[in-house]
Amino acid sequence: MNAATLRDRVMPVLLGGTRRQPLPDLALSPAEEPARALHALSLAGQALRFERPPAPAQFTVEHWPRDERRLLPPNLRGKLVDLLYSRKCAEASERILAWTFARTRLRPHPFDFPSIREFVRKYAQYLGLAAQHWAQRDTPAERRNQYFEAEEISAKNWTEAPRASRLRFLEEMRQHDPAGARELLASSWGREEPETRLRLLAALQTGLTEADREFLKALDKDRAPRVRMLAQRLLAKLPGASGENPALRSCLSRIQKLQKGKLRRSVALKLELPANVKEQAASRWIQEQFEGVSLEELANALEISADDMPSAAKDDPNLLFALALMASREKHFALLESITHLLADTWGRMSAVDDEEPSFSDPAERQEWARTLVHPAQWNPEVPYPAWDWLLRRLEGPLPQPVMDELLRSKWWSEQAASDPPPRPEVIQVICALCPPQLRGQLRGQVEALAPESNLEGLLLLDILEGLESFA
Amino acid sequence: MTELSLQKIEAMAPDQASLQAARKLMKPGIWSGLSTASAGLVWGECQSSGAAPYRVVISEPDSGYKCTCPSRKFPCKHSLALMWMRVERKAAFAEAAPPEWVQDWLRRRRPAAKSDAGDEAADESAPRPAKNIALTASEEAATVDPISEARAAAARERSRLERESSVTAGMDDLDQWLADQIDMGIAAFAANPGKACRLIAQRLVDAKAGGLANRLDELPGYLYTLPDAMRPVAAINELGQLHLLAEAWRRQDSLHPEMRADLRREIGWSLTREALLDDRSALRITGTWRIFATLEEAQQDRLRRFETWMWRESPGDGPRFAVLIDFVPLAAGGARNPWLKGERLEATLVFYPSPVPLRAIIGNMEGSAQACHQEMQLPDSGVEAAWASWESALALKPWLRVWPLQFRGTQVRRSGQQYYLCSTQTAVALPILRPQAEMVAPLLCVEHVDGFALWDGSWIRMCLGQTELGFWGIT
Repeated sequence: MNAATLRDRVMPVLLGGTRRQPLPDLALSPAEEPARALHALSLAGQALRFERPPAPAQFTVEHWPRDERRLLPPNLRGKLVDLLYSRKCAEASERILAWTFARTRLRPHPFDFPSIREFVRKYAQYLGLAAQHWAQRDTPAERRNQYFEAEEISAKNWTEAPRASRLRFLEEMRQHDPAGARELLASSWGREEPETRLRLLAALQTGLTEADREFLKALDKDRAPRVRMLAQRLLAKLPGASGENPALRSCLSRIQKLQKGKLRRSVALKLELPANVKEQAASRWIQEQFEGVSLEELANALEISADDMPSAAKDDPNLLFALALMASREKHFALLESITHLLADTWGRMSAVDDEEPSFSDPAERQEWARTLVHPAQWNPEVPYPAWDWLLRRLEGPLPQPVMDELLRSKWWSEQAASDPPPRPEVIQVICALCPPQLRGQLRGQVEALAPESNLEGLLLLDILEGLESFA
Repeated sequence: MTELSLQKIEAMAPDQASLQAARKLMKPGIWSGLSTASAGLVWGECQSSGAAPYRVVISEPDSGYKCTCPSRKFPCKHSLALMWMRVERKAAFAEAAPPEWVQDWLRRRRPAAKSDAGDEAADESAPRPAKNIALTASEEAATVDPISEARAAAARERSRLERESSVTAGMDDLDQWLADQIDMGIAAFAANPGKACRLIAQRLVDAKAGGLANRLDELPGYLYTLPDAMRPVAAINELGQLHLLAEAWRRQDSLHPEMRADLRREIGWSLTREALLDDRSALRITGTWRIFATLEEAQQDRLRRFETWMWRESPGDGPRFAVLIDFVPLAAGGARNPWLKGERLEATLVFYPSPVPLRAIIGNMEGSAQACHQEMQLPDSGVEAAWASWESALALKPWLRVWPLQFRGTQVRRSGQQYYLCSTQTAVALPILRPQAEMVAPLLCVEHVDGFALWDGSWIRMCLGQTELGFWGIT
C-alpha cells in the first residue's frame, strides 16, 4: 500500500468512521490484522506528514514602491520600536520623530512597521513611500492616496500633499504668481474639508490684490462660518472696501475707552465680557469674538495707534489676550512681545483655545513667534503637557535656543527633579522634543537625574533624535 | 558608596534556609561569565536545574539585585550566593562591559531607596527572623547507611516496575480510545475534540504517562488554530502519532537505545539534568551557537515552557540545531526567558539521547551570551534542502513534532491572505502561520530571505531572517 492509496482509499473511511464503511485491505500480517483501524490511522497520518504542502495556483503580484530614502541606522531600530511600542510614549515623541524622519530624508525600517503600526498609520506622509504603501495596504485600491514626497510637490500633485506642505507651497506660489495660486486653490476648493479651506484661504493674505475680490466674494456662501468670516476680513483689506465689518462693530460695543490720570492724561481700554461668559470660557469667547478683526481696523476705530494699544490695555488681561491673538495671527511680533511682557501667561491661554489656528509656514517666522511668546522664567503652565505640546505642534520642531536655555534654567524645570511624585513621562518627552540639538547634552544630564519611571522614554527619544540627525 | 558585607547579606536574606541554599551555590564551577564593571556592577550565570542558566546581576553600592530564577524569595539564593562570593573573593571576576541583559536591568530598575539593607539592619526596632551565616557552615555530613540505601533502591525499582505496568495499561486504554474515534469518524472528533481529549488525558495522567497526557491536552487548542477544512486531516496526523507511540512503547525492548530513550521521554519519563551531565556517552557538541528563536507557552499543567532554539555557526560534525527547554510554574508570575533572540554564545551542549538529537542542556559555557548583529554565514541550501532535512528526521523519529529549517535564497510570497515561504522556482511553498501574517508582510519587499523557521508538519513559523535590508525578526 502506498501513500496515494492511503490518501484516496483509507483516509475517507477514517474521516467518515468505520461503522459506516469498512476499511480496505491493508496487506497487514495476521498478527497486526486485529488492530487494522489503528494501523490505518498511523500509516495515513505518517503518509500525510511526508507530503509536501500544495503550492497555490498563483501568487499575488506585489507593488511595493521604490523608496529612495535611506533606512535609519540599524542600532536605532530597537530603540525606535521600544519607544513607540511603550505605553508611555507621548504624542509629542511621535510627532518630533515623524518630522525628523521627513527632515533628514531617512525612513523607518519596513520590517519594524508591524511593531510600530499606529505610528506608521498616523504619520505615513512623513515617513517615505514604503510607509505610505504599508499604511494603505488594507485600503481598497479606489480609495488609496497617491504616494507623496514633500520635496516633489507641484501644482499637479498638490492635492495629495499634507496640509502644511500645501499651505507652504501656496504661500510661496502667491509671492511670484498670485493669480496662478488663487486658481490652483479654486480648482480644488469644492473637494476640501472646512478646516483645510480655512487654512488654505489664509494663504491669500500673501499678495492680496483686487484680482482676488471675485473669488473672495463667492465665498460669502461657503458652508463654514469661519471661512466666510475670513473671506470678509480679506475683502475688508482690499482698497475701496466699503462694507462695515460686523465683527469689528461687535467688538467695539464691548470695549470702553477711558481717559486716565490727572496730570498726564492717558487712554485706558477695557473689555467687558458678557455676563453669561464665565471666567473659564473667557479665552474661547475672546478668540471667537476677535477672529474677524484686524489690529489695524481696531486701532483705527479706537483712534489709537496699534503700538499704543498694549499699554492702554495693560490693566485688562482679557483685552491684552485679544490683542495677543491678533498680533500672533498677523505676525506682528514686536507688538506680541510687548504684550507678553504685560501678560506672561499669554501662550498658556493661547494653547487652551488656539488649536485650530493656522500655523506659520515659514520656519524662521515660527522661531521668531516662539521667541516673542514664550518666557519660561516668567511663567510656566499649571498643566504642562498640553501647553508644551501645543507649542511643539505650532513650531513643528524645537524651541529657539535662547528660549530653551531659559527653560532649562527656570524654577519650574528645576522643581521637576525634586518633585514627588516624579514628573509624568510625557512632560519629559515633550521637553526633549522641544530641545534644539545644541542643548541636548545639557538636557540629557538633567533628565538622567530623574527617576527611571519618568525619564526612560525621554532618554530614548534623545538617543534616537541624535542618532537620526548625525546619520543624515 | 556603601560596600557589600556579610552583615548586610545576613540582613538581606529572607530566612536562614536561603543562606544555607546560597552557601551550596558558592562553587565557581557552577558559575559562568562572572564579571564586574565600574560602579560596582557584578554579574554571572548560575547553572540551573533546567537547560538555561539563571542570569544574576547585583549592584554593590546599593545592594540591588536581579535574578531570572522563578523563586519568590527576594533576594533569591542565587543573588545571595553571588554577593557572598563577591564579599569573600571566592571566585575571580573579570572586568568586562555589561552585556545587554545587564544594561536592560540597569535601564529599568528604580534607584536605590535612601535606607538600604544595611541601614535597615541597623534598625533594631524592625523584628526580623534570626539568620546567621556562621550557622550555614555547621552542616553535619550525612552518614550513609548501606541497609537503608539498599531498601531505598529496592523501593525505587518496585516503583519503576509499577509505573511501567501502569503506563502499559494506559497505552491499551489510549488505543481503545483511538479505535472508538476511528469507529465514529475522525471528522466528527475534529469538530469537537475538547471533551474527548480531556477524558483520555486524565486517564493517561493516572497511568503516569504525563507526556502523552500533555500532548492530548494541547491537541484541541492546536486543531482550533487551523481553518475548519484542515482540522480533520490534522487530527488524523496527530492521532496517528499517538498510536505510533503506544505501539513503540509495547515494542520498546526491540528499539535502538536512543530511540527508546526518546520514546520514554515522549511518554513522560524524565531524565534529570544531573543524570544527563553524568552520562559520559551523551552527545556533546562544542561550538558557537546563535539563538534564532525564543518561544514561550503556558501549558495545561500550569507550567510555562520556554524554548530557546539555536543554530551552531561553527562548522563540524554533529547536530547544527539544538533547543533548550525550560519549565517554570505559571504561579511564578512574569518569569521570562533569560535568552534573547540574536544572542551568540560559546558553549558545549549536552544532547538528550534521541535518533534526532535536538533537545539539549548547556554543559559548559565560556563567558556570557552576547547580543550579535553580525551577518550569519549560512550554508547555501534552499527550501528544498530544508524540506529534505525534515523528511530525513521524520524517517528517523516518526513522532517528531517540530523541526528547525535553515534556508537561503528564498522568497516570501502571498496568495490572498496566506503567506508562503517559497523557493525561487516556487516548487516548494510552505504556508506560514497565519498569526504571523502581519509580521512577515514586509518581507514581500525584499528579493531574497535567508534564515531559520520551525516546521510543525502543517505550518512554518518564521523565526529569523537575513535580507539585503538587514535582519528580520530582531531589532
